[in-house]
Amino acid sequence: MLETLQNLSLGFSVALSPTVLLYAFVGCVIGTLVGVLPGVGPLAGISLLLPVTFGLDATRAIVMLAGIYYGAMYGGSTTSILMRIPGEAASVMTCIDGYAMARKGRAGAALAIAAVGSYVAGTASIVGLMALAPPLAAFALRFGPPEYLALLTLGLLVLAYMSSGSMLKSLAMAALGLLLGMVGIDQMSGYFRFAYGLVELGDGLGVVPVAVGLFGLAEILATAGQPTPPGVIQPRFRELLPSRREWRESTLPIARGTVLGFLIGVIPGSAHIISSFVSYALEKRLSRHPEEFGQGAVAGVAGPESANNSATSGAFVPMLALGVPSGPIPAVMLAAMMVHGVAPGPLLIQQQPALFWGFIASMYVGNVVLLILNLPLVGLFVNLLRVPYSYLYPAILVFAILGVYAVNGSVVDVWIMLAMGVLGWVLRKLDFETAPIVLGVVLAPMIELSLRQSLAMSDGRYAIFIERPIAATLLAVGAVLVLLSLRTFVRRGRDWRARVVLAGKGEGP
Amino acid sequence: MRARPMAFALLLLATTAPTAAAQEAYPARPITLVAPFPPGGVADLTARPVAAALEKVLKNPVGVVNKTGAAGAVGMQFVATSRPDGYTLLLALSSIAIIPEADKLFGRPPAFTVDQFVPLALISADPTILVVPADKPWRTARDFIEDARKRPGQISYSSSGIYGTLHMAMELLSHAADIKLRHLPTPGAGPAITAILGGHVEALASGPAAVIAHIQSGKLRPLASWGVERHPALPDVPTFKELGLPGAEFYIWAGVFAPKGTPAPVVARLESALRQAVAEPEFRGAMDKLKTPIAFRQGEEFRRFFDADARRLAEGVRRVGRVESK
Repeated sequence: MLETLQNLSLGFSVALSPTVLLYAFVGCVIGTLVGVLPGVGPLAGISLLLPVTFGLDATRAIVMLAGIYYGAMYGGSTTSILMRIPGEAASVMTCIDGYAMARKGRAGAALAIAAVGSYVAGTASIVGLMALAPPLAAFALRFGPPEYLALLTLGLLVLAYMSSGSMLKSLAMAALGLLLGMVGIDQMSGYFRFAYGLVELGDGLGVVPVAVGLFGLAEILATAGQPTPPGVIQPRFRELLPSRREWRESTLPIARGTVLGFLIGVIPGSAHIISSFVSYALEKRLSRHPEEFGQGAVAGVAGPESANNSATSGAFVPMLALGVPSGPIPAVMLAAMMVHGVAPGPLLIQQQPALFWGFIASMYVGNVVLLILNLPLVGLFVNLLRVPYSYLYPAILVFAILGVYAVNGSVVDVWIMLAMGVLGWVLRKLDFETAPIVLGVVLAPMIELSLRQSLAMSDGRYAIFIERPIAATLLAVGAVLVLLSLRTFVRRGRDWRARVVLAGKGEGP
Repeated sequence: MRARPMAFALLLLATTAPTAAAQEAYPARPITLVAPFPPGGVADLTARPVAAALEKVLKNPVGVVNKTGAAGAVGMQFVATSRPDGYTLLLALSSIAIIPEADKLFGRPPAFTVDQFVPLALISADPTILVVPADKPWRTARDFIEDARKRPGQISYSSSGIYGTLHMAMELLSHAADIKLRHLPTPGAGPAITAILGGHVEALASGPAAVIAHIQSGKLRPLASWGVERHPALPDVPTFKELGLPGAEFYIWAGVFAPKGTPAPVVARLESALRQAVAEPEFRGAMDKLKTPIAFRQGEEFRRFFDADARRLAEGVRRVGRVESK
């Protein structure tokens, strides 16, 4: 404990030195902007700036790149809440209830809660990163394909909780999403599937163009299709802050989202995207008013936004403790370390204490910076809603196209986004929800790969999923969830029978 | 909204600066070096110091563009079909010879073919190293091979993907040693290492730089190298050639290519510029940090190396054949 405090004071002495502080600040600002811009996510932002860091020393470079990563999670909620366009993929869930809150005039409250939730989650999860990194990293490595599949199965069960409307329609959309997720090179055999000769479709439909199209473009098209444009929201200053009730309703979701996001973030291969989906489903399951979800439930913003932030700290655990990338973003950061001659690996913490602890301390500092940066911006961003739609929407459209193009420099991605926008608009007209499609597109390749990898490991025996303790436990949890929902089903049935019996008695003598 | 204008400003700077130079002399415009893989990978990390050194030698901007997708096929196809004027170059890895062969195997129109490129220079060539988890009983490559013969299809290894470089290395070994291993493809070299560290597979062929830290920390044990000579960073590790398996020769290499049809004077200018570029101390320092030894070859020498490698890989792909889905 004492040692940790000494190390941390070393870290703060590094993090608070003027230049490191400057780079943390720059990283946070860029991250916020990258998050705010639709399409451009943290991966694109970090990739674009990686070459710029080559002139810096390792600590500054890493501090700045990390700032972009967690800064993007702060900024990502902004356009989700204001315009229903996910600023980056992990903010897809925020589109649902965040935007619904904005339509009710609670945009300021939603933005403030997202910022505070991100701050709490960001700061609390660094404590987890600091205290648990080595043991947790060893545990995370035991997540192989079978464990991952079990986790994703849980994710699929989440789908059932996504909808606020018809369950059948929601499942149909999930199936459509899973089908769209099948496009691309089959990773086990090398076949091109449903690519129609387009090499660009080899990697499948990207989450970013699909999400921006289905949510953002569809919203723009739907608004443009109305005979009279909806009234411009005129936010008043006193409505910017969350009410006491909204604070109360977000406290527990923020706490749960923090823990959940951190744990999911640690697992290699898992994306921060999933953490926000799972958190949303969890909050809906635990809520006393599940019917409010989709209509502007505060918990539907607070939970996922906290989860995606603490997932970023979680993702640093295997990276710093073992030198193992837990996803594409940590992989780029590992490369940045190598470029600077720092060998990532299990010995990093001992060999480079100033870098490791400086990095940890800079995350504390960075989160404070982001909170200070984001809370005043709430007022500014909310004012964007005052801009008439005829100016605002074309501008958004331009940014969305630029952003989606910038990710891979691919025109095919832009076409995917436009097609998804039209699809989303049609589905809205038919009263289908589009969130399950996005979840399907995210999950399908992961589920397929981990299932087939597991079977390759076991030579085709399905028993591998119950022989491995972690996988078995996760599947058992999933089974319990299914049974629990069956129980409410049965109980409701009994209520119905009981009512009939009562009615029969009433009619009796 | 800050990041974009900066990129635009750079672009603007890049396009306006060289117009002052004489129009006919090459290079008169900025050169684009396409890395067909995302930032942070071997191709990207090699491309950036190469571009920086070339820029210095040619006194002309050289920018790296990551054109990624479909295991590199998108970027390679882009360069293969771009105008052969010396302003679009490619930094390719060994997979340049694998992709057309796999396309042939599946009977689909190839995204590109190797003869659409002119090889300019080989920058680096690192042999793969066979590593196993330290808690496994195999002390030597011989132990490993004997055990694999006794239990065909039982010992599993991870790779960077089907027909990927790490898969091909293992396939060449399997053929040379007449053993059968179980293959677990993953989406990249990073996940492949994660799989062996997590104990989900029992072997891996990996580039040395990616596993040296894990060898030093005692988590992984190196058994043999696919190189012709022992690797300088691992002098105690024998080569498969020493062990009597000369067929198991494989390198993860990086080289610079131009589209076919690039005028001879431009090719000559680029070749001499690359020769000077690799001698730059900054370039040597950058490659040293990446723990990637420079293996510079040009002209006939590179062509021979490239042809031999392409032949070996094409055979490897054909031997694996079409993988029927499980």
